[in-house]
Amino acid sequence: MTAIGISQPAPGAAVGQRVRPARRRGPGLRLARLYLVSRRVLTCLLVLAAAGIALRIALHWLPRTGVAARQLPLTIEAGAAAAIGVTTRSPFGEPEDTAGPWVRWLRLAVSLALAGAAFGALAAGAAGQHLADGTLGLLRDLGGFTGLALLTAALIGGGLAWIGPLAYVAVTLPALDGPWATPWTWAARPPHDRGAAICAGLVFASGLALLTARGARAPDSALETALRVYPSFRARTDYGYPAVCRAVCRPRPSSFRNSRNCRRRKLSRPE
Amino acid sequence: MTAASTPAVPTRAWHLARPGRLLRLELRRNPMLWMVPLLAALFWYGVYRPCLANPPLWVLRAATIQSHALLIFAPLLAGVAAWTGSREGRRHTVDLVSITALPRWAAQLAAWAATAAWAEAVYLGGTAVVYGITAHQATWGGPLWWPIAVGAVGVAAACAVGYAAGALLPGRFTAPLAAVLVFVALGAGAIWIEHNGSYAQIWPLNVQGPFPDDSYGVFYPFLPDLAIAQLMLLGGVMAAALGALGLASARGGRWLRGLAAWLTVAGVAAAAAAIGLAGTARVEAHGIVIPALHDAASDRPVSYTPVCARSAVPVCLQPAYAAMLPDVTATLGPVLDEITGVPGAPVRVTQVAVTSMQAHEPGNGIAFGGPVLSGHPVTLLLPLSGLTLAGEGNTTAAQFSQQLRTQDAAILDALVGLASPVGPQSGSSGAVIVPADLSPGAAAQHAIVSAMAKVAGLELGEDQIGRQSAGQRGTGPPPGPQAGSPSSASRLAAAERFAALPAAARHAWLVTHLAALRAGRVTLSEIP
Repeated sequence: MTAIGISQPAPGAAVGQRVRPARRRGPGLRLARLYLVSRRVLTCLLVLAAAGIALRIALHWLPRTGVAARQLPLTIEAGAAAAIGVTTRSPFGEPEDTAGPWVRWLRLAVSLALAGAAFGALAAGAAGQHLADGTLGLLRDLGGFTGLALLTAALIGGGLAWIGPLAYVAVTLPALDGPWATPWTWAARPPHDRGAAICAGLVFASGLALLTARGARAPDSALETALRVYPSFRARTDYGYPAVCRAVCRPRPSSFRNSRNCRRRKLSRPE
Repeated sequence: MTAASTPAVPTRAWHLARPGRLLRLELRRNPMLWMVPLLAALFWYGVYRPCLANPPLWVLRAATIQSHALLIFAPLLAGVAAWTGSREGRRHTVDLVSITALPRWAAQLAAWAATAAWAEAVYLGGTAVVYGITAHQATWGGPLWWPIAVGAVGVAAACAVGYAAGALLPGRFTAPLAAVLVFVALGAGAIWIEHNGSYAQIWPLNVQGPFPDDSYGVFYPFLPDLAIAQLMLLGGVMAAALGALGLASARGGRWLRGLAAWLTVAGVAAAAAAIGLAGTARVEAHGIVIPALHDAASDRPVSYTPVCARSAVPVCLQPAYAAMLPDVTATLGPVLDEITGVPGAPVRVTQVAVTSMQAHEPGNGIAFGGPVLSGHPVTLLLPLSGLTLAGEGNTTAAQFSQQLRTQDAAILDALVGLASPVGPQSGSSGAVIVPADLSPGAAAQHAIVSAMAKVAGLELGEDQIGRQSAGQRGTGPPPGPQAGSPSSASRLAAAERFAALPAAARHAWLVTHLAALRAGRVTLSEIP
């Protein structure tokens, strides 16, 4: 079988039915639309809107002072950032990057746009209510959380990007009512703390830069990295050797081929 | 090799081996395994450090473990469990795995069990480390298991809720939303408990309602009523979530779906019953009591041999507080030295649980009574409950001593007859009500207290006199007598005069006139 004649109509096709040529759109626009669909950006926008509503409801019931007045808004902000982080997950993985240079600019633009949308939704939710850290604090905290989410997406995968901001919130909780002064706990610092703003900005910028350059890490490659980092674990876990890793890491690295476990298996395997 | 040559496996053994093998596989491939380092780091940061920053009282550390571990762990566990539960949905392999011989529900339960097992390993391992260190440091008592049990069931329940969410609604947003919702639910509990003192007690981070952590489980057994209700709630939520998984599974047969339905209904009923029981909770002197769950044996005091300091007036503390004995003795010493030998002065100081307690409506706040002079010979019953102990949080020994100095003032108040049993902070506002114009007898009492406090090195303002346990939690700054009242200047002058007397003269005057002073029959002009 050859490719000759593949562009011809199928023999069973109705005679006289005209094949409508595909309407040509701008390739950039189509790429952007497909990118947004593949990232579930519309769902993300709905989640951000829900976060704004949740913030409004929470601020209505929250006391004006105390730890709870800061803890719950921070959690909602972290949730919004987590939603931005998980949108970076690509269903295609690394092959997508070979499609062309535009994907990385799309990643940058969409991440920035979603961060802006999150700030707008949360600021609208807090309008007319008493937000403990004010709009400036909201901008700083949301920026920092989003940066953490993007960093996590670039390092361990888009699907698990929520771990970064939510683990950071858990770390920040003791700092809310403690004498912490380090600017790296920016969410627990006053809104006009310059060091905290710089730290949050640095995290946001580095997250955005890393995600733009590399994209969200595909989950399989994350596992491969983990197994590369822990060769002893890899050697121990075979029989062992996880099936998913067999698919991902083939051919097996020399360290495994030479490992004692591997040699033992060869020896014990009947020819 | 053909299928005909496959060795026959006994049916029963095969049935028993399948779930175990599946669980083993899930344990090895579970995403929670990769979260163990993060969870361990969070436990160290958010639980271990705060625990060891507290004095080595079992109750303090157990309460910290329950509240901190659940708050830090539960959201992340729910998220990771949701990620695990949505695995087949995300990879579009639901149809593929549904045709396996094992019921889908069993496979899901194995995945949940593996997820929960890794989480429990971190939680219980961390708890074992904290308890091991506490066993070396604590001077009295033994480990409390009820708060640990609540935390352990809470961990499993968070995994169950997350897993069910992931399995029923698979998607990329499920895991973060599950984590955030659990976070928000735990945070909202704090607000709920602010507004409602009864049903909100069921909140899983709540150990003993408004009681400070060192005010229960020492002199009386830890009351497990609330912990039992919390276990019912968390167990019910877990059962309902796991049962809902079975209901949603298409395969498994009628009996399996019936079992899932039964589990769901039982879980919902247990959770509803727990909330209903929490509605009947009442705040009593030694913890939260739920009548339907209360064991009368828990009301008997715990026996112990106090540790005492060898001083002119012996100071005896509960052995769990032995490390604070030098601070307490040094702080109370000057005042006790000043009043030793005076009729009605204490000949011994004994630490007690709580002398009196008043709950604030709507139930989210209590005020403890201060020291009380009681018995014959007179003993000073000194409660330390409600004070922030040295080492608790960031409290230094100096700050602890500063709080104890307010007890000194209360001792002087009690000696001259100014103190009341519950303390002046009782009342919904927490404000001390001191009349602007004191009676002649009360003015003399105030003047004597001021003078003796000055001699003992206490810097008491007018507002701290006649106010019992002023430095304790839950009390606001009280208004003192008005500075411009007619008797203020004469009171101060009398106090200055009395403080300027030689110690022997002061002592002799007190020995002779204390009874009259307590009865309010001494006026300012009669003070030498």
